Amino acid sequence: MNAVLEVSGLTKQYDGVRAVDSLTFSLAEHTATALIGPNGSGKTTTLSMLAGLLRQSSGTIRFSGAGKDPRSAIGFLPQYPNFFPWMTAIEYMELAAGLTGIGGRDVRTACEKTLGFVGLGDAGKKRIGGFSGGMKQRLGLAQAIIHRPALLLLDEPVSALDPAGRREVMEMLKEIGETSTILYSTHILNDAEEMTDQLLFLRSGKLIEQGPLRQVREKYGGSGFRVSFSDREAAEQFAGAAPWTARVDGPAVMISGDAVSMEALLRFASEHPAGITGIGRASVRLEDIFMKVVGKP
Amino acid sequence: MNQYRLFLGKEWREQARSFKLFWVPLVFIFFGALEPLTYHFLPQILESVGNLPEGSEFTLPEMTGADVYASLTGQYQTVGLLVLVLAFMGSLSGERKSGTGTLLYVRPISYAAYYLSKWTSAVLLGAASLWLGYGMAATYIVQLYDQVPDLRDVVLFLLVMAVWIVFVVTLTLTASASLPTGGAAGAALGILFIGMMIDGLVGTYWTWSPWKLQSYGLAYLTGGPDTGDLAGALIVTAVLTALLALFGILQARRNAAKAKV
Repeated sequence: MNAVLEVSGLTKQYDGVRAVDSLTFSLAEHTATALIGPNGSGKTTTLSMLAGLLRQSSGTIRFSGAGKDPRSAIGFLPQYPNFFPWMTAIEYMELAAGLTGIGGRDVRTACEKTLGFVGLGDAGKKRIGGFSGGMKQRLGLAQAIIHRPALLLLDEPVSALDPAGRREVMEMLKEIGETSTILYSTHILNDAEEMTDQLLFLRSGKLIEQGPLRQVREKYGGSGFRVSFSDREAAEQFAGAAPWTARVDGPAVMISGDAVSMEALLRFASEHPAGITGIGRASVRLEDIFMKVVGKP
Repeated sequence: MNQYRLFLGKEWREQARSFKLFWVPLVFIFFGALEPLTYHFLPQILESVGNLPEGSEFTLPEMTGADVYASLTGQYQTVGLLVLVLAFMGSLSGERKSGTGTLLYVRPISYAAYYLSKWTSAVLLGAASLWLGYGMAATYIVQLYDQVPDLRDVVLFLLVMAVWIVFVVTLTLTASASLPTGGAAGAALGILFIGMMIDGLVGTYWTWSPWKLQSYGLAYLTGGPDTGDLAGALIVTAVLTALLALFGILQARRNAAKAKV
Protein backbone atom coordinates (compact mmCIF):
# COMPACT_ATOMS: atom_id res chain seq x y z
CA MET A 1 0.00 0.00 0.00
CA ASN A 2 1.15 3.54 -0.70
CA ALA A 3 2.32 5.65 2.23
CA VAL A 4 0.26 8.82 2.59
CA LEU A 5 2.54 10.23 5.26
CA GLU A 6 6.18 9.56 5.96
CA VAL A 7 7.70 11.05 9.07
CA SER A 8 11.39 10.86 9.75
CA GLY A 9 13.28 12.03 12.81
CA LEU A 10 10.50 14.44 13.77
CA THR A 11 11.60 16.48 16.76
CA LYS A 12 10.16 19.44 18.64
CA GLN A 13 12.28 21.17 21.22
CA TYR A 14 11.14 23.87 23.65
CA ASP A 15 13.82 25.63 25.68
CA GLY A 16 16.10 22.63 25.60
CA VAL A 17 13.33 20.13 26.39
CA ARG A 18 12.40 17.64 23.69
CA ALA A 19 8.60 17.43 23.66
CA VAL A 20 8.82 15.14 20.65
CA ASP A 21 11.98 13.23 20.02
CA SER A 22 13.00 11.74 16.67
CA LEU A 23 9.72 10.13 15.62
CA THR A 24 9.89 7.98 12.53
CA PHE A 25 6.83 6.27 11.14
CA SER A 26 4.64 6.11 8.08
CA LEU A 27 0.92 5.84 7.46
CA ALA A 28 -0.37 3.65 4.68
CA GLU A 29 -3.33 4.77 2.57
CA HIS A 30 -6.80 4.20 4.04
CA THR A 31 -5.55 2.91 7.36
CA ALA A 32 -6.36 4.02 10.88
CA THR A 33 -3.49 4.56 13.29
CA ALA A 34 -3.87 5.17 17.00
CA LEU A 35 -1.37 7.41 18.75
CA ILE A 36 -1.31 6.20 22.33
CA GLY A 37 0.52 7.55 25.31
CA PRO A 38 0.05 9.03 28.75
CA ASN A 39 -0.63 12.74 29.31
CA GLY A 40 2.33 14.88 28.26
CA SER A 41 3.82 12.20 26.06
CA GLY A 42 3.80 14.48 22.99
CA LYS A 43 0.66 13.32 21.18
CA THR A 44 -0.84 16.80 20.66
CA THR A 45 2.53 18.30 19.73
CA THR A 46 3.02 15.57 17.14
CA LEU A 47 -0.43 16.12 15.64
CA SER A 48 0.07 19.91 15.66
CA MET A 49 3.28 19.55 13.68
CA LEU A 50 1.65 17.20 11.18
CA ALA A 51 -1.26 19.64 10.80
CA GLY A 52 1.17 22.44 9.95
CA LEU A 53 0.36 24.42 13.06
CA LEU A 54 3.75 23.97 14.68
CA ARG A 55 7.09 23.99 12.93
CA GLN A 56 9.31 21.06 13.82
CA SER A 57 12.76 21.69 15.28
CA SER A 58 14.17 18.99 13.03
CA GLY A 59 13.09 16.03 10.96
CA THR A 60 10.98 15.73 7.86
CA ILE A 61 7.30 15.27 7.14
CA ARG A 62 6.59 13.98 3.66
CA PHE A 63 2.99 14.04 2.59
CA SER A 64 2.04 12.51 -0.72
CA GLY A 65 -1.07 13.32 -2.66
CA ALA A 66 -1.23 17.04 -1.88
CA GLY A 67 -0.77 20.05 -4.09
CA LYS A 68 1.57 22.85 -3.19
CA ASP A 69 0.03 23.27 0.25
CA PRO A 70 -0.41 19.98 2.14
CA ARG A 71 -2.93 21.61 4.45
CA SER A 72 -5.50 21.47 1.67
CA ALA A 73 -5.47 17.68 1.93
CA ILE A 74 -5.43 17.47 5.72
CA GLY A 75 -8.36 17.62 8.10
CA PHE A 76 -7.62 18.43 11.73
CA LEU A 77 -9.73 18.16 14.85
CA PRO A 78 -8.16 19.41 18.08
CA GLN A 79 -9.09 17.87 21.42
CA TYR A 80 -11.16 20.88 22.42
CA PRO A 81 -12.26 22.56 19.20
CA ASN A 82 -13.06 26.25 19.63
CA PHE A 83 -15.46 28.00 17.31
CA PHE A 84 -16.76 31.53 16.93
CA PRO A 85 -19.76 31.40 19.26
CA TRP A 86 -21.66 34.04 17.31
CA MET A 87 -21.63 31.97 14.12
CA THR A 88 -24.20 29.39 13.17
CA ALA A 89 -23.00 25.87 12.36
CA ILE A 90 -23.80 26.25 8.67
CA GLU A 91 -21.99 29.60 8.47
CA TYR A 92 -18.94 28.02 10.08
CA MET A 93 -19.04 25.09 7.69
CA GLU A 94 -19.26 27.41 4.71
CA LEU A 95 -16.26 29.37 5.95
CA ALA A 96 -14.31 26.15 6.53
CA ALA A 97 -15.25 24.85 3.10
CA GLY A 98 -14.39 28.11 1.37
CA LEU A 99 -10.99 28.38 3.05
CA THR A 100 -10.12 24.90 1.86
CA GLY A 101 -10.95 25.82 -1.70
CA ILE A 102 -14.44 24.42 -2.01
CA GLY A 103 -16.61 26.84 -3.90
CA GLY A 104 -19.54 27.08 -6.20
CA ARG A 105 -23.23 26.62 -5.86
CA ASP A 106 -23.07 23.25 -4.15
CA VAL A 107 -21.21 24.45 -1.06
CA ARG A 108 -24.32 24.84 1.05
CA THR A 109 -25.60 21.39 0.06
CA ALA A 110 -22.22 19.83 0.86
CA CYS A 111 -22.15 21.58 4.24
CA GLU A 112 -25.69 20.50 5.09
CA LYS A 113 -24.88 16.95 4.07
CA THR A 114 -21.77 16.86 6.23
CA LEU A 115 -23.64 18.32 9.20
CA GLY A 116 -26.28 15.65 8.69
CA PHE A 117 -23.58 12.96 8.59
CA VAL A 118 -22.25 13.99 12.01
CA GLY A 119 -25.75 14.21 13.46
CA LEU A 120 -26.13 17.99 13.42
CA GLY A 121 -28.61 18.16 10.56
CA ASP A 122 -31.16 20.05 12.65
CA ALA A 123 -28.64 22.37 14.29
CA GLY A 124 -27.29 24.08 11.18
CA LYS A 125 -28.99 27.39 11.82
CA LYS A 126 -28.27 27.48 15.55
CA ARG A 127 -25.50 29.61 17.01
CA ILE A 128 -22.47 27.56 18.05
CA GLY A 129 -22.36 29.43 21.38
CA GLY A 130 -25.37 27.38 22.47
CA PHE A 131 -23.84 24.01 21.53
CA SER A 132 -22.97 21.34 24.10
CA GLY A 133 -19.47 19.88 24.26
CA GLY A 134 -20.61 16.85 22.28
CA MET A 135 -22.17 18.99 19.56
CA LYS A 136 -18.96 21.02 19.27
CA GLN A 137 -16.98 17.81 18.92
CA ARG A 138 -19.29 16.71 16.12
CA LEU A 139 -19.02 20.10 14.43
CA GLY A 140 -15.26 19.79 14.80
CA LEU A 141 -15.39 16.51 12.97
CA ALA A 142 -17.65 18.00 10.29
CA GLN A 143 -15.27 20.89 9.58
CA ALA A 144 -12.36 18.46 9.43
CA ILE A 145 -13.97 16.26 6.77
CA ILE A 146 -15.84 18.86 4.68
CA HIS A 147 -13.09 18.86 2.03
CA ARG A 148 -12.73 15.05 2.02
CA PRO A 149 -9.12 15.13 3.21
CA ALA A 150 -6.67 12.42 2.29
CA LEU A 151 -5.32 12.53 5.85
CA LEU A 152 -7.44 13.12 8.92
CA LEU A 153 -5.67 14.08 12.15
CA LEU A 154 -7.82 13.76 15.25
CA ASP A 155 -6.74 14.64 18.75
CA GLU A 156 -8.83 12.67 21.25
CA PRO A 157 -11.86 12.74 18.92
CA VAL A 158 -14.31 11.07 21.29
CA SER A 159 -13.05 12.12 24.71
CA ALA A 160 -15.80 14.72 25.22
CA LEU A 161 -18.60 12.38 24.23
CA ASP A 162 -20.89 10.15 26.27
CA PRO A 163 -20.74 6.40 25.56
CA ALA A 164 -23.57 6.51 23.02
CA GLY A 165 -22.06 9.51 21.25
CA ARG A 166 -18.65 7.83 21.31
CA ARG A 167 -20.03 4.73 19.63
CA GLU A 168 -21.76 6.84 17.01
CA VAL A 169 -18.63 8.86 16.21
CA MET A 170 -16.48 5.73 16.07
CA GLU A 171 -18.91 4.32 13.50
CA MET A 172 -18.60 7.56 11.52
CA LEU A 173 -14.82 7.36 11.67
CA LYS A 174 -14.90 3.81 10.36
CA GLU A 175 -16.95 5.04 7.42
CA ILE A 176 -14.60 7.99 6.82
CA GLY A 177 -11.68 5.57 7.06
CA GLU A 178 -12.80 3.92 3.86
CA THR A 179 -11.70 6.97 1.89
CA SER A 180 -9.24 8.73 4.23
CA THR A 181 -6.17 7.84 6.21
CA ILE A 182 -6.74 8.50 9.89
CA LEU A 183 -4.24 9.24 12.62
CA TYR A 184 -5.84 9.80 15.98
CA SER A 185 -4.69 10.11 19.54
CA THR A 186 -6.74 8.51 22.25
CA HIS A 187 -6.64 7.35 25.79
CA ILE A 188 -9.85 5.34 25.42
CA LEU A 189 -8.16 2.11 24.52
CA ASN A 190 -11.33 0.16 23.85
CA ASP A 191 -12.00 2.50 20.96
CA ALA A 192 -8.47 2.15 19.67
CA GLU A 193 -8.86 -1.60 19.80
CA GLU A 194 -11.93 -1.32 17.64
CA MET A 195 -10.57 0.91 14.90
CA THR A 196 -6.83 0.47 14.54
CA ASP A 197 -4.61 -0.94 11.89
CA GLN A 198 -1.46 0.37 13.47
CA LEU A 199 -0.43 1.46 16.96
CA LEU A 200 2.11 4.11 17.88
CA PHE A 201 3.06 4.21 21.55
CA LEU A 202 4.57 7.45 22.79
CA ARG A 203 6.29 8.06 26.09
CA SER A 204 8.13 11.26 26.98
CA GLY A 205 8.08 12.31 23.34
CA LYS A 206 9.67 9.10 22.10
CA LEU A 207 8.11 6.44 19.97
CA ILE A 208 8.70 3.37 22.10
CA GLU A 209 6.63 0.84 20.20
CA GLN A 210 4.85 0.66 16.90
CA GLY A 211 3.31 -1.85 14.60
CA PRO A 212 0.07 -3.46 13.51
CA LEU A 213 -2.30 -4.31 16.36
CA ARG A 214 -1.93 -8.07 15.84
CA GLN A 215 1.85 -7.88 15.85
CA VAL A 216 1.93 -5.79 19.02
CA ARG A 217 -0.52 -8.18 20.65
CA GLU A 218 1.63 -11.15 19.80
CA LYS A 219 4.68 -9.39 21.14
CA TYR A 220 3.18 -8.31 24.43
CA GLY A 221 0.36 -10.74 24.95
CA GLY A 222 2.55 -13.83 25.20
CA SER A 223 1.25 -17.00 23.55
CA GLY A 224 -1.71 -17.80 25.76
CA PHE A 225 -4.72 -19.90 24.77
CA ARG A 226 -8.41 -19.65 25.41
CA VAL A 227 -10.57 -22.77 25.54
CA SER A 228 -14.28 -21.97 25.37
CA PHE A 229 -16.98 -24.19 26.88
CA SER A 230 -20.74 -24.49 26.72
CA ASP A 231 -20.96 -23.67 30.43
CA ARG A 232 -18.83 -22.71 33.39
CA GLU A 233 -19.09 -26.13 35.03
CA ALA A 234 -17.46 -27.82 32.04
CA ALA A 235 -14.75 -25.16 32.11
CA GLU A 236 -14.06 -25.78 35.78
CA GLN A 237 -13.82 -29.55 35.21
CA PHE A 238 -11.37 -29.04 32.35
CA ALA A 239 -9.24 -26.63 34.41
CA GLY A 240 -9.21 -29.05 37.33
CA ALA A 241 -8.02 -31.90 35.13
CA ALA A 242 -5.42 -29.89 33.23
CA PRO A 243 -1.78 -30.59 34.16
CA TRP A 244 -0.93 -26.86 33.64
CA THR A 245 -1.93 -23.72 35.48
CA ALA A 246 -5.31 -22.84 34.05
CA ARG A 247 -7.57 -19.95 35.02
CA VAL A 248 -11.35 -20.13 34.68
CA ASP A 249 -12.80 -16.96 33.15
CA GLY A 250 -16.58 -17.42 32.81
CA PRO A 251 -17.36 -20.32 30.45
CA ALA A 252 -13.72 -20.39 29.31
CA VAL A 253 -10.30 -21.46 30.50
CA MET A 254 -7.22 -19.31 30.00
CA ILE A 255 -3.88 -21.13 29.77
CA SER A 256 -0.51 -19.46 29.66
CA GLY A 257 1.47 -20.14 26.53
CA ASP A 258 4.62 -20.51 28.58
CA ALA A 259 3.20 -23.70 30.09
CA VAL A 260 1.99 -25.56 27.05
CA SER A 261 2.24 -25.74 23.29
CA MET A 262 -0.81 -25.67 21.02
CA GLU A 263 -0.09 -29.23 20.03
CA ALA A 264 -0.09 -30.49 23.63
CA LEU A 265 -3.22 -28.49 24.39
CA LEU A 266 -5.06 -29.99 21.42
CA ARG A 267 -3.98 -33.46 22.44
CA PHE A 268 -5.23 -32.91 26.00
CA ALA A 269 -8.48 -31.41 24.72
CA SER A 270 -9.16 -34.40 22.52
CA GLU A 271 -8.83 -36.57 25.60
CA HIS A 272 -11.18 -34.29 27.61
CA PRO A 273 -13.65 -33.01 25.00
CA ALA A 274 -16.65 -32.48 27.31
CA GLY A 275 -18.37 -29.14 26.60
CA ILE A 276 -15.57 -27.64 24.47
CA THR A 277 -16.91 -25.18 21.89
CA GLY A 278 -13.67 -23.65 20.68
CA ILE A 279 -9.92 -23.33 21.13
CA GLY A 280 -7.90 -20.31 20.09
CA ARG A 281 -5.16 -17.91 20.99
CA ALA A 282 -6.07 -15.64 23.89
CA SER A 283 -6.45 -12.02 22.88
CA VAL A 284 -4.72 -9.70 25.30
CA ARG A 285 -6.45 -6.38 25.96
CA LEU A 286 -4.87 -3.21 24.62
CA GLU A 287 -5.01 -1.71 28.08
CA ASP A 288 -2.72 -4.47 29.35
CA ILE A 289 -0.35 -3.88 26.45
CA PHE A 290 -0.43 -0.15 27.20
CA MET A 291 0.57 -0.79 30.80
CA LYS A 292 3.37 -3.12 29.68
CA VAL A 293 4.69 -0.78 27.00
CA VAL A 294 4.22 2.62 28.57
CA GLY A 295 4.62 1.48 32.14
CA LYS A 296 8.08 0.11 31.44
CA PRO A 297 10.86 2.29 32.86
CA MET B 1 -9.21 37.10 -3.35
CA ASN B 2 -11.83 34.52 -2.50
CA GLN B 3 -10.28 34.01 0.94
CA TYR B 4 -10.19 37.78 1.50
CA ARG B 5 -13.90 37.94 0.64
CA LEU B 6 -14.68 35.04 2.96
CA PHE B 7 -12.70 36.52 5.84
CA LEU B 8 -14.20 39.96 5.26
CA GLY B 9 -17.70 38.49 5.45
CA LYS B 10 -16.75 36.82 8.70
CA GLU B 11 -15.37 40.09 10.11
CA TRP B 12 -18.51 42.07 9.28
CA ARG B 13 -20.71 39.39 10.75
CA GLU B 14 -18.58 39.37 13.89
CA GLN B 15 -18.69 43.17 14.21
CA ALA B 16 -22.46 43.15 13.83
CA ARG B 17 -23.10 40.28 16.23
CA SER B 18 -20.71 41.54 18.87
CA PHE B 19 -22.43 44.96 18.50
CA LYS B 20 -19.08 46.60 17.77
CA LEU B 21 -20.67 47.92 14.61
CA PHE B 22 -23.04 49.93 16.80
CA TRP B 23 -21.23 50.89 19.99
CA VAL B 24 -18.03 52.20 18.41
CA PRO B 25 -19.85 54.76 16.20
CA LEU B 26 -22.19 55.60 19.08
CA VAL B 27 -19.27 56.64 21.30
CA PHE B 28 -17.97 58.95 18.57
CA ILE B 29 -21.46 60.31 17.86
CA PHE B 30 -22.01 60.92 21.55
CA PHE B 31 -18.88 63.06 21.83
CA GLY B 32 -19.71 64.69 18.52
CA ALA B 33 -23.02 65.88 19.96
CA LEU B 34 -21.72 66.69 23.43
CA GLU B 35 -18.86 68.99 22.46
CA PRO B 36 -20.74 71.71 20.49
CA LEU B 37 -23.70 71.60 22.88
CA THR B 38 -21.49 71.91 25.96
CA TYR B 39 -19.60 74.91 24.63
CA HIS B 40 -22.72 76.63 23.39
CA PHE B 41 -24.66 76.20 26.60
CA LEU B 42 -21.70 76.51 28.96
CA PRO B 43 -22.87 79.80 30.52
CA GLN B 44 -26.30 78.35 31.28
CA ILE B 45 -24.75 75.11 32.58
CA LEU B 46 -22.44 77.03 34.91
CA GLU B 47 -25.33 79.17 36.08
CA SER B 48 -27.59 76.26 36.90
CA VAL B 49 -25.11 73.78 38.38
CA GLY B 50 -22.05 75.88 39.09
CA ASN B 51 -23.06 76.78 42.68
CA LEU B 52 -21.06 79.98 42.30
CA PRO B 53 -20.96 82.73 44.94
CA GLU B 54 -23.29 85.74 44.48
CA GLY B 55 -21.87 88.27 42.04
CA SER B 56 -19.38 85.91 40.35
CA GLU B 57 -18.74 86.78 36.74
CA PHE B 58 -16.91 84.85 34.04
CA THR B 59 -15.91 85.97 30.64
CA LEU B 60 -15.97 82.97 28.32
CA PRO B 61 -14.18 83.24 24.99
CA GLU B 62 -16.36 83.40 21.90
CA MET B 63 -16.11 79.92 20.35
CA THR B 64 -16.06 79.50 16.61
CA GLY B 65 -16.99 76.37 14.71
CA ALA B 66 -13.29 75.68 14.11
CA ASP B 67 -12.65 75.89 17.88
CA VAL B 68 -15.31 73.29 18.53
CA TYR B 69 -13.84 70.97 15.88
CA ALA B 70 -10.43 71.42 17.50
CA SER B 71 -11.82 70.68 20.96
CA LEU B 72 -13.65 67.60 19.66
CA THR B 73 -10.45 66.44 17.96
CA GLY B 74 -8.76 66.66 21.35
CA GLN B 75 -11.44 64.36 22.77
CA TYR B 76 -11.02 61.92 19.90
CA GLN B 77 -7.26 61.97 20.38
CA THR B 78 -7.76 60.54 23.88
CA VAL B 79 -11.12 58.84 24.33
CA GLY B 80 -11.50 58.08 20.62
CA LEU B 81 -8.10 56.42 20.35
CA LEU B 82 -8.76 54.48 23.53
CA VAL B 83 -12.05 53.20 22.10
CA LEU B 84 -10.46 52.16 18.82
CA VAL B 85 -7.54 50.40 20.50
CA LEU B 86 -9.87 48.61 22.92
CA ALA B 87 -12.19 47.60 20.09
CA PHE B 88 -9.46 46.06 17.94
CA MET B 89 -6.69 45.03 20.34
CA GLY B 90 -7.87 41.40 20.42
CA SER B 91 -8.59 41.05 16.71
CA LEU B 92 -5.78 38.54 16.12
CA SER B 93 -4.44 37.80 19.59
CA GLY B 94 -7.94 36.94 20.82
CA GLU B 95 -8.36 34.31 18.13
CA ARG B 96 -5.00 32.80 19.03
CA LYS B 97 -5.76 32.78 22.74
CA SER B 98 -9.28 31.38 22.51
CA GLY B 99 -8.26 28.75 19.96
CA THR B 100 -10.82 29.95 17.41
CA GLY B 101 -7.91 30.76 15.11
CA THR B 102 -6.53 27.21 15.30
CA LEU B 103 -9.10 25.77 12.92
CA LEU B 104 -8.37 28.60 10.47
CA TYR B 105 -4.59 28.28 10.63
CA VAL B 106 -4.63 24.54 9.81
CA ARG B 107 -6.26 25.38 6.50
CA PRO B 108 -4.33 26.62 3.46
CA ILE B 109 -5.06 30.24 4.27
CA SER B 110 -3.34 33.36 3.05
CA TYR B 111 -2.23 35.34 6.08
CA ALA B 112 -2.34 38.48 3.95
CA ALA B 113 -6.05 37.88 3.29
CA TYR B 114 -6.57 37.08 6.97
CA TYR B 115 -4.86 40.27 8.19
CA LEU B 116 -6.16 42.57 5.48
CA SER B 117 -9.77 41.49 5.98
CA LYS B 118 -9.49 42.51 9.63
CA TRP B 119 -7.70 45.68 8.57
CA THR B 120 -10.39 46.61 6.03
CA SER B 121 -13.28 46.14 8.42
CA ALA B 122 -11.48 47.92 11.29
CA VAL B 123 -10.41 50.84 9.09
CA LEU B 124 -13.91 51.25 7.65
CA LEU B 125 -15.51 51.09 11.09
CA GLY B 126 -12.93 53.45 12.61
CA ALA B 127 -13.13 56.01 9.81
CA ALA B 128 -16.93 55.81 9.57
CA SER B 129 -17.24 56.28 13.34
CA LEU B 130 -14.96 59.30 13.20
CA TRP B 131 -16.87 60.84 10.31
CA LEU B 132 -20.21 60.15 11.93
CA GLY B 133 -18.94 61.82 15.10
CA TYR B 134 -17.76 64.90 13.23
CA GLY B 135 -20.97 64.80 11.19
CA MET B 136 -23.03 64.93 14.37
CA ALA B 137 -20.87 67.81 15.62
CA ALA B 138 -21.30 69.63 12.28
CA THR B 139 -25.09 69.51 12.48
CA TYR B 140 -24.97 71.38 15.80
CA ILE B 141 -22.08 73.66 14.80
CA VAL B 142 -23.91 75.03 11.74
CA GLN B 143 -27.00 75.73 13.84
CA LEU B 144 -25.44 77.08 17.03
CA TYR B 145 -22.28 78.91 16.00
CA ASP B 146 -21.79 82.02 13.92
CA GLN B 147 -18.41 81.40 12.36
CA VAL B 148 -18.49 78.07 10.54
CA PRO B 149 -15.69 76.62 8.35
CA ASP B 150 -16.39 75.95 4.68
CA LEU B 151 -17.67 72.49 3.80
CA ARG B 152 -14.68 71.94 1.48
CA ASP B 153 -12.25 72.64 4.35
CA VAL B 154 -14.18 70.34 6.66
CA VAL B 155 -14.03 67.53 4.09
CA LEU B 156 -10.26 67.99 3.64
CA PHE B 157 -9.88 68.00 7.43
CA LEU B 158 -11.89 64.74 7.67
CA LEU B 159 -9.78 63.11 4.97
CA VAL B 160 -6.55 63.97 6.79
CA MET B 161 -8.01 62.67 10.06
CA ALA B 162 -9.03 59.44 8.31
CA VAL B 163 -5.39 58.86 7.35
CA TRP B 164 -4.48 59.23 11.03
CA ILE B 165 -7.19 56.71 11.98
CA VAL B 166 -5.90 54.24 9.39
CA PHE B 167 -2.47 54.54 11.01
CA VAL B 168 -3.93 54.01 14.50
CA VAL B 169 -5.93 50.96 13.45
CA THR B 170 -2.99 49.43 11.58
CA LEU B 171 -0.74 49.92 14.60
CA THR B 172 -3.34 48.27 16.85
CA LEU B 173 -3.85 45.28 14.53
CA THR B 174 -0.12 44.75 14.11
CA ALA B 175 0.34 44.89 17.87
CA SER B 176 -2.45 42.32 18.15
CA ALA B 177 -0.71 40.12 15.55
CA SER B 178 2.54 40.34 17.48
CA LEU B 179 1.58 40.24 21.16
CA PRO B 180 -1.03 38.87 23.54
CA THR B 181 -4.12 41.09 23.87
CA GLY B 182 -3.02 42.97 27.00
CA GLY B 183 0.43 43.61 25.57
CA ALA B 184 -1.08 44.68 22.26
CA ALA B 185 -3.25 47.32 23.95
CA GLY B 186 -0.30 48.53 26.02
CA ALA B 187 2.02 48.69 23.04
CA ALA B 188 -0.47 50.46 20.77
CA LEU B 189 -1.52 53.01 23.38
CA GLY B 190 2.06 53.46 24.53
CA ILE B 191 3.35 54.19 21.03
CA LEU B 192 0.43 56.54 20.29
CA PHE B 193 0.68 58.56 23.49
CA ILE B 194 4.47 58.61 23.63
CA GLY B 195 4.39 59.82 20.04
CA MET B 196 2.03 62.60 21.07
CA MET B 197 4.33 63.58 23.92
CA ILE B 198 7.34 63.67 21.65
CA ASP B 199 5.30 65.69 19.17
CA GLY B 200 4.39 68.11 21.97
CA LEU B 201 8.05 68.51 22.93
CA VAL B 202 9.87 68.62 19.60
CA GLY B 203 6.99 68.84 17.13
CA THR B 204 8.29 72.12 15.76
CA TYR B 205 11.32 70.28 14.35
CA TRP B 206 9.61 66.92 13.67
CA THR B 207 7.20 68.10 11.04
CA TRP B 208 6.80 64.92 9.00
CA SER B 209 5.14 62.47 11.34
CA PRO B 210 1.73 60.80 11.74
CA TRP B 211 1.31 62.66 15.02
CA LYS B 212 1.28 65.94 13.11
CA LEU B 213 -1.72 64.99 11.00
CA GLN B 214 -4.39 66.20 13.40
CA SER B 215 -2.87 69.68 13.66
CA TYR B 216 -2.37 69.86 9.88
CA GLY B 217 -5.95 68.71 9.40
CA LEU B 218 -7.28 71.28 11.83
CA ALA B 219 -5.26 73.95 10.05
CA TYR B 220 -7.63 73.51 7.06
CA LEU B 221 -10.35 74.98 9.27
CA THR B 222 -8.31 78.06 10.13
CA GLY B 223 -6.70 79.06 6.87
CA GLY B 224 -4.89 75.96 5.57
CA PRO B 225 -1.79 73.98 6.52
CA ASP B 226 1.72 74.18 5.10
CA THR B 227 1.10 71.89 2.16
CA GLY B 228 4.72 70.79 1.99
CA ASP B 229 4.71 69.58 5.58
CA LEU B 230 1.26 68.03 5.16
CA ALA B 231 2.41 66.10 2.09
CA GLY B 232 5.53 64.96 3.94
CA ALA B 233 3.50 63.82 6.94
CA LEU B 234 1.04 62.00 4.69
CA ILE B 235 3.82 60.20 2.83
CA VAL B 236 5.60 59.20 6.03
CA THR B 237 2.30 57.98 7.51
CA ALA B 238 1.45 55.99 4.38
CA VAL B 239 4.88 54.35 4.32
CA LEU B 240 4.75 53.56 8.05
CA THR B 241 1.22 52.16 7.66
CA ALA B 242 2.27 49.92 4.79
CA LEU B 243 5.33 48.70 6.70
CA LEU B 244 3.22 48.06 9.80
CA ALA B 245 0.69 46.09 7.76
CA LEU B 246 3.43 44.01 6.15
CA PHE B 247 4.99 43.34 9.55
CA GLY B 248 1.54 42.47 10.91
CA ILE B 249 0.98 39.88 8.17
CA LEU B 250 4.36 38.27 8.90
CA GLN B 251 3.67 38.28 12.63
CA ALA B 252 0.22 36.76 12.14
CA ARG B 253 1.81 33.89 10.23
CA ARG B 254 4.68 33.51 12.70
CA ASN B 255 2.46 33.54 15.78
CA ALA B 256 -0.13 31.12 14.41
CA ALA B 257 1.92 28.42 16.13
CA LYS B 258 1.00 30.04 19.46
CA ALA B 259 -2.71 29.41 18.94
CA LYS B 260 -4.34 27.31 21.62
CA VAL B 261 -4.79 23.70 20.49
